[in-house]
Amino acid sequence: MTDFKAVLRTLAEGGVEFIVVGGVAATIHGSSRLTRDVDVVYRRTASNIARLAATLTPYQPYLRGAPPGLPFRWDAATIERGLNFTLTTQLGSLDLLGEITGGGSYEALRPFTQVVRPFGVECRCLDLGHLIEVKRAAGRPKDFEAIAELEAIREEREKKS
Amino acid sequence: MTPAERSSIDDIVDLYKRDVDRTLIRERLSRSIEERLEDLMNFEAFADELREAGRRARLHD
Repeated sequence: MTDFKAVLRTLAEGGVEFIVVGGVAATIHGSSRLTRDVDVVYRRTASNIARLAATLTPYQPYLRGAPPGLPFRWDAATIERGLNFTLTTQLGSLDLLGEITGGGSYEALRPFTQVVRPFGVECRCLDLGHLIEVKRAAGRPKDFEAIAELEAIREEREKKS
Repeated sequence: MTPAERSSIDDIVDLYKRDVDRTLIRERLSRSIEERLEDLMNFEAFADELREAGRRARLHD
């Protein structure tokens, strides 16, 4: 089970620059769909990569679904030479994305984020409009239902305002 | 969005949208972000319990 609160708190307290996307972002916007992992887009600067490596090391990140015993090392060099990582950690499942389809990098997404403070943790979350856009861009049939719900949430919000 | 800007994906999403429970959405929007995340974690824990119960039941079949 993923401890969403602990994942967000750990990344924020470690000074990692990241944007919450995916199912947790959808939950923040009001979705009732179940998600089992935290998806974040992280900034790919050397300093942020170093913070990301140091912050998660105590939680023993490992490649989710990979056989045990692979010579995987969670360090800055591994992050720099890779891009997207689907990890299992002691806090739960965490997808660290250097870029996302239809959205690009941290820098490209940042103008389309809002700052939220759940549990006293300040973090950036992709805004609802762009969350819908990136889900559409991914073009996965499994996302149709999620897109429909997010669009309905947007319509309900517009009715209220 | 004008009809010319629409794609078949928009038509598919509209079909799915018919089945979206708007009362559930309104209820969710009335809750704080913290409450939404707490609900998600509780739901996840409940789903895990159900899965475990199912696994145990299959072992005893």
